[in-house]
Amino acid sequence: MRFTLKSRSVCTLFLLAAAFAHAQSPFAPKVTGPLSQRVVAYQIDAKYDPAQHAVDATETLTYHNLTGQPLDHFPFHLYLNGFQPDATWVAEAHRDGNFRTSNFDGAWDPKHSGSNTVTSLEVLGMGDVTKQIKFIAPDDGNLKDKTVIDVALPHPVPPGQNVVFKIKFRAVFPEVVARTGYKRTFLLAGQWFPKVGVWWNGAWNCHQFHAMTEFFADFGTYDVKITLPKNYIIGATGVQMSDTDNGNGTKTVAFHAEDVHDFAWTADPNYKVVESTFNGSVGAVEIRLLTYESNKSSWQRYIDVMQGSMKRFDDWYGPYPYAQITVVDPPHGAMEAGGMEYPTFITGDTTWWAPKGQKLFPEGVTEHEFGHQYWYAMVATNEFENAWLDEGINSYTEVKVCDSLYGKNTSLINWMGGQMGDRSLQRIEYVGVAETDSLAEPSFRDMSMGAYGGVTYGKTATMLLTLEAVVGEQELQKALHAYFMKYRFTHPTQEDFLRTVNEVAGQDLGWYWQQAVYGTQVLDYKVRRAESVRVDWANKDAPEEKKGETLYQTDVLVQRLGDFVFPVTAQIKFDNGETIREKWDGRDRWKRFVYLKKAQIESVEIDPDHQITMDRDYLNNSVATEAQRGAILKISTHWAFLTQFFAQMLSWLT
Amino acid sequence: MDDHDKGLVAAGAALVWRRQRVLWWVYVVNLALGLLGTAGARTQLEHLLKHSLAGESLSKGFDLGMFFELVNVPDANLMRSMRSSLLFVLLFPLFMLFVTGGILSVYREDRRFTAGDFFAASGAFFWRFVRLALFSLIPFGILGAAYSGVRRLADYIGDRAVPAETWFYVMLAGCAVVVLLVLFVRLWFDIAQVRAVVQNEPRMWPNLWKSLGITWRQARTLFRVYLCISGVAWVTLAVGLFIWAKLPPTVTPLTFLLLQFLVFMQLATRLWQRASAVTWYKRHAAVVPADAVDFTTPAPVEFVDAYSVPPESAVPASPPEAAPPEGPTAGESPRPGETSA
Repeated sequence: MRFTLKSRSVCTLFLLAAAFAHAQSPFAPKVTGPLSQRVVAYQIDAKYDPAQHAVDATETLTYHNLTGQPLDHFPFHLYLNGFQPDATWVAEAHRDGNFRTSNFDGAWDPKHSGSNTVTSLEVLGMGDVTKQIKFIAPDDGNLKDKTVIDVALPHPVPPGQNVVFKIKFRAVFPEVVARTGYKRTFLLAGQWFPKVGVWWNGAWNCHQFHAMTEFFADFGTYDVKITLPKNYIIGATGVQMSDTDNGNGTKTVAFHAEDVHDFAWTADPNYKVVESTFNGSVGAVEIRLLTYESNKSSWQRYIDVMQGSMKRFDDWYGPYPYAQITVVDPPHGAMEAGGMEYPTFITGDTTWWAPKGQKLFPEGVTEHEFGHQYWYAMVATNEFENAWLDEGINSYTEVKVCDSLYGKNTSLINWMGGQMGDRSLQRIEYVGVAETDSLAEPSFRDMSMGAYGGVTYGKTATMLLTLEAVVGEQELQKALHAYFMKYRFTHPTQEDFLRTVNEVAGQDLGWYWQQAVYGTQVLDYKVRRAESVRVDWANKDAPEEKKGETLYQTDVLVQRLGDFVFPVTAQIKFDNGETIREKWDGRDRWKRFVYLKKAQIESVEIDPDHQITMDRDYLNNSVATEAQRGAILKISTHWAFLTQFFAQMLSWLT
Repeated sequence: MDDHDKGLVAAGAALVWRRQRVLWWVYVVNLALGLLGTAGARTQLEHLLKHSLAGESLSKGFDLGMFFELVNVPDANLMRSMRSSLLFVLLFPLFMLFVTGGILSVYREDRRFTAGDFFAASGAFFWRFVRLALFSLIPFGILGAAYSGVRRLADYIGDRAVPAETWFYVMLAGCAVVVLLVLFVRLWFDIAQVRAVVQNEPRMWPNLWKSLGITWRQARTLFRVYLCISGVAWVTLAVGLFIWAKLPPTVTPLTFLLLQFLVFMQLATRLWQRASAVTWYKRHAAVVPADAVDFTTPAPVEFVDAYSVPPESAVPASPPEAAPPEGPTAGESPRPGETSA
């Protein structure tokens, strides 16, 4: 592993050298493209004005019509227009509170406004069609929403032919809001250029920008030149091809990417560059961390979690085929730029004081965003409509990787006497919204922002963790591997995923999918009774009760409280050390187990291996005949202390 | 600290030690309120965990995930228990407000009080201290606003600075200043309370201004004493919490003892400050004889220059020969009818 820090000037020289070294291919050494069906080719020449936080650019988009039919109009996303007071994105964020931002809870602040303005749009061979541009709102009819434009062409583009758009546009960034924007000299440029919609299932799929969705786009190639002040350090999707000093205080940096469906970049003169190399199954991959001096204590942590995550994904799910992954550590005050994924480019998050015992920042978030390289960047499902296929599956793999790296029960927190595993976080997200929305529902139609988060991330992760109890952990890992290898670069649907799991598991899991994916049933099992009674209880002359000699009848009653039917195991322990495991298919509302033994029952526990993370209430899953006071005493002790401590602190004022 | 004030911290500690009965009673009341404040939560916990194996992850470690689930169980009502705990949190300051008169009287006379004497003294000064507490809202409110200003300043500077630590250091510096000012205000009102008891001062508004003058002129000595004792409290708390974090998860009885020790030390250091203030005042003021204090109709008693004629009973060490230039009563003279040395 290389791990070098450089001053700005030395770094620039190094980047030039690195750019030269990478100029040949955007892929890892053992990979050759194309990897995807390339529909689009973007060439963008952009000039960044740091004072205005704006980019003026010329975009040349070559669209290859592979739809099999003539196309006479094209929709484009203008995502930055989502940050306007009348936009649907802002309305939704203001209505529900956005779990990615809190900037829209109160009055409108102009500094959070962003925009994309198309100043001219020409179609090669058809002339200027700027006047044909019209804003459309296919999802909610909000005529003031300007996040989607539709361009009617004078002549249709025949199937199999290319059409070239030349678009001049201006992008004005907000102060960091939900994945994009500036903070001081820092800029994260995400969703910044006009991006064509996806022809999918026989129609254009180009949703408005919603607060509760992410993105969807076609694969292709990107050649992007960015001109900016020469003291800026820049990172972007793909690999750097050149760095030219323009002699006027600016430089132009060129990037190239293939088989990706988006392009993001970042720049800041204060960046420090930390580099490392991951040696995977398809050769060396450069890890390039753009970070800050203040976060020095997190640099090695970033590198370690990237190495660990890349290794596990490579071993478990498939190779990372690109030559480079850029990891951005946003500066303080730009937290909303953190925790985001773009192809070959992710943003993590940390603080200068982050204790090592908590692994949420930077480890958890960095792992999560790297995982998106597989489910978002390569498999590339439609996140508008089935966000769970990306965010949810990624939350599941996050649990698996973090468990593997930091321990099952300590993968998020192991600090100051407290522990928490990543699966607990997913469960907490899910439990609050267990019955609000199904996974299959388009995510922008979920009940609320909280429901979107809880269902998309938490419910999917707990659904897949629970599925391990049915098909086995290894089988599910194989299924994800098969799904990734088969569907990468293809935009699969949720049915493709479910079918793949069925095939690999060798069983029809329709009963499970109907409840866990398409339904909103709640899974909740309860131990209703656990009791041992002397069989001779009615005999007045019965001998004195004696351990090991007296015969007891033990009744165990387990109950299904929710509508979700799931097979469960109940573990019954007796006071002679005997343990019995009973299986119940869960179809009836309750099940009784009866035993005649010279022993009394000690405890009953449903799901003793703690696999059924979808069970909404863990507290009713067990009954112990003897009082369990350990936790009660511990919590009471601390509760009393806090009451006393705050009381004496308050008395200080008197 | 001049020779006259040497050993003030130790003298305060010795006084707390001699009159430790007071401390123990205060602690017992604090503990009782703490346990009462925990009763609701404990009942809920018993209901949820007494016969469930789910608590194992909390007793054999502390699974925060399980704890969050516990808090969020809809019928657990742990949040309601939290509100009832808050009630007991608020009762203790009221209790302390009531007994402070008794505590200061015990320290003033440095003898064991009967319960009747103690509560009579407490009652006699209660309404004066209520008035002082209400007056204290003004400076504490101003300091609250100052804290909010510090926060805004830190946000402003931190938001514009590249180093992420800037916000923290600006806050640290600002909060340190605010804490010192809060400590000064506390000292000022403590002196006012001491003065109300030792001088049997009935008028709290003039008392407050005279106490401010005394506190300001003697800030070097008194503030150092308060800071020193506060330092002991803060260090004890920090060390205690460090040990707490290192304790094995299953040793709940030991954890209980440690946490109770921390609470006890916080209360002890607070009474130590009060005892030191009383000791200092007794060394520098003409103390109204205890039997001359009529709790029901207190006679106004003025602070006098104690350096010139210290009452023997009140000054354990020999006073300096020359009065300091900034004596607590500079410019003041006894009014007709007032007791003086």
